[in-house]
Amino acid sequence: MTPETETRDAPSGGVTDERAAFTGYGRTDGRIGVRNRLLVLPSVICSHLVADRIAARVPTAVSAPHDHGCAQLGADNDQTARTFTGIGTNPNVAGVVVVGLGCEEIQSDDVAARLADLGVPVRELSIQSEGGSDRTIERGVEAATALLEERRRETRGSLADLTVGIVSSDLRESTVERVDPLLGSFARRVVDEGGRVVVAGTERLSSHAEEAVAAADESVAEEFGGLLETRRLTPARTTGLRRRAAERSFDELSRPWGGLPIRAVLAYGERATHDAGVGFVDAPSGFAEAATGLAAAGAQIVLHGTAEGIPSGHPIVPVLKLTGDERTFRALPEDIDVDARSTTPEGFADRVLDLLNGAESCAERHGLTEFAITRVGPSM
Amino acid sequence: MAEFTGFRRADGSVGVRNHVAVIPTSVSASALSRRIGADAGERVRATPHQMGADQPTPAREQTERVLAGIGRNPNVGAALLVELGTESIDVEALADRIAESGTPVETLSIREVGGTAAAIEAGRERARSLVAEVADARRETADASELVFGVECGGSDATSGIAANPAVGNACDRLVEAGGTACFSETPEFIGAEHILAERCADRATREWLLERVEMRENMAQLMGVDLRGAQPTPGNQEGGLTTIEEKSLGAISKGGTTPVRGMVEYAERLPTGGGLVLMDTPGYDVESVVGKVAGGAQVIAFTTGRGSTTGNPIAPVIKVTGNPKTWERLSNNMDFDASTVISGESLSDVGERLFDLLLEVASGRLTEAEYRRLEEFAINEIQPEELVGLRGEAR
Amino acid sequence: MKGRVLDGCALLMTDRDTVVTALEDLEADREIALGEGESVALREPVPFGHKVAVTAIDTDDHVVKYGEVIGEATERIEPGAWVHTHNCESTRGRGDIPKPNGSGVVAEGERR
Repeated sequence: MTPETETRDAPSGGVTDERAAFTGYGRTDGRIGVRNRLLVLPSVICSHLVADRIAARVPTAVSAPHDHGCAQLGADNDQTARTFTGIGTNPNVAGVVVVGLGCEEIQSDDVAARLADLGVPVRELSIQSEGGSDRTIERGVEAATALLEERRRETRGSLADLTVGIVSSDLRESTVERVDPLLGSFARRVVDEGGRVVVAGTERLSSHAEEAVAAADESVAEEFGGLLETRRLTPARTTGLRRRAAERSFDELSRPWGGLPIRAVLAYGERATHDAGVGFVDAPSGFAEAATGLAAAGAQIVLHGTAEGIPSGHPIVPVLKLTGDERTFRALPEDIDVDARSTTPEGFADRVLDLLNGAESCAERHGLTEFAITRVGPSM
Repeated sequence: MAEFTGFRRADGSVGVRNHVAVIPTSVSASALSRRIGADAGERVRATPHQMGADQPTPAREQTERVLAGIGRNPNVGAALLVELGTESIDVEALADRIAESGTPVETLSIREVGGTAAAIEAGRERARSLVAEVADARRETADASELVFGVECGGSDATSGIAANPAVGNACDRLVEAGGTACFSETPEFIGAEHILAERCADRATREWLLERVEMRENMAQLMGVDLRGAQPTPGNQEGGLTTIEEKSLGAISKGGTTPVRGMVEYAERLPTGGGLVLMDTPGYDVESVVGKVAGGAQVIAFTTGRGSTTGNPIAPVIKVTGNPKTWERLSNNMDFDASTVISGESLSDVGERLFDLLLEVASGRLTEAEYRRLEEFAINEIQPEELVGLRGEAR
Repeated sequence: MKGRVLDGCALLMTDRDTVVTALEDLEADREIALGEGESVALREPVPFGHKVAVTAIDTDDHVVKYGEVIGEATERIEPGAWVHTHNCESTRGRGDIPKPNGSGVVAEGERR
């Protein structure tokens, strides 16, 4: 089901680096992907089925269909464009075919030019200049196939090469008590070894802004405070979560990232560039939108804590699902990767390492992906 | 007398297609619904969308209205609702809303059947049994007055206002004359032309509502602190010669024809049958706007485009009309009707008559180019948190 | 088609209009007969679907098409000039220009 068809042989010969944790795919900027996806990215909803059809015909290609790219105003439009750049430069992405309609606000050639500037192998085409959907699909398949040639070779990586995305999406009792401590322990290990963690879920902290800012690195305190205040004044996208967050202590709320200080504050769609430590992404906790925000920040994997057991994955990042809820684990045995009730921090870390090395997650096995981009303004 | 053949439903409405809809109640069930739709046979159409499982109340109500409206559209012979099982939308209540129209409805909970693989299997089975249930329906003759015709424009250029929109408007006039309903929407594209529409409103309440909604949409530019021209007209509109939103709007409103505006409805709210010309308050964003009208009950959509948009809809056939001769030639695989003959001298009345005939043919089963290609984009307009704070509170 | 075709190449929608729409790609210096012995020469090439001024339009004056206001001139526009976003702007949806007495649409403290 998953488009991952290449095998990753264990590296042969040479000196074994003791810190090496996984074998991935080196990119020109030095980052290492844990998957080797060819991304077919529609710049607007109007070209998303065409993008789907192109991806379906090319091995290892995935598409990222979304509802946006036109009739968006100001900051909302900028956020969508920024997200395209973030997603296209994710280290799991070997190359990008950008597909536009032609008349939309976010023009496909601009998206492609930005990606090319950042060193991403890219091709671009639009339905109106190609002369219709049929021809665009044909040409898109050719472009994607040509990009297959440019893909990078295998490289060893350590936890210091990782950006781990974390979204713990519901603040249910089972999640806070069983899942979040596991996530937190892995986050600490990654950061200890010099890696990055990015977390989503602005609604979690808007009711605890003061403590959150006090616990953040001084350099980002003001920015973080401003963000949380803005979000506090806006209705949450997920209503129940904000209510539950208000009833929790800050210690409980910061468990998924091990209570570590926030060292960077990232806009939705922005790439993480801080050296190491935890970055906070201004993304809602809803899985699909959060996962895209984390992937755009550069996360090679996403760890998803869920009491509900939301089954979908993401086109460009493998997603490991954890639940601490017994009923959910029983209801969805083939969709949950980790039963947090019976998993130790060491056991969990091993599961993540397996995932990094190419073991399929449940969602990958089922071929279920969901791609969504959050909005900050209405459609016009 | 203008007639077509369609599928008579239990509530008396007439479908122009006989689809089985697979409708997820949230984004958490969307990927799986898409999969069920792809595997369960030719008649099955999925409507995957990105609405969250726990939206703020006004947004959730709008999502429910769309999902119920899609299920009740006369083109849907039967519906399968798919949920994860933790959504705030009550799937049984939604099923009841759809079943009120006599449409057979089944539900499927991913959690109840034991996860993805089991749900895909169960979903296919249920969809196939629904297909068997609707397979006996036969087309019968129906009067054009039973059609609800939604009209849309997208990827506009200067030819839209000169040729394609007036041609579609002429077809709308013919349908209204025959006793049917024509609906156009896209409120941001009333800006600068609202005074003309207001004069055509049949009553004061409609006029006031129209002007209020236009003001609300215009105020969104204020809310975001930007020039609307950042989003409307779009770069393609501008390349095609449209300079301002006023110019775009003045061209856009001609697609509704010339009859009085009988009323206005909310996004995805039920459109009356035999209602004459009715407006719907939608964004100008094509896919969301088309979905609003289909959820309102439109069985057929005409979509005018100058630059050449290729989008369709899973439930209603979309007739692509272009007034741009170059687009007719270049995107011939995606266009259904050439209205550029208006520019080369064919009378509007003749072009309108040809288009009205095509409308009846498509209603009677002729496939559109988007249907051939299964181009069936679907998206629900989400009421944004910023909108809730900034606008709705004051404007309603 | 509504309106009057001038010289086979440009469409005047109503007699009140100050612009015509090019019905083909028009080259610079092309003369368009306006009727009653008057004509206008194009000062620049104008693509299909785009607009040409048929009268002089002063800065801040209305640009009229379909017999309605479609915007305002941001500079003086001479007869025969191409009229588009470089010299004509909308008067509507201008969230970039603060309303004089506050817009009243944004609840206090809601925006940064």
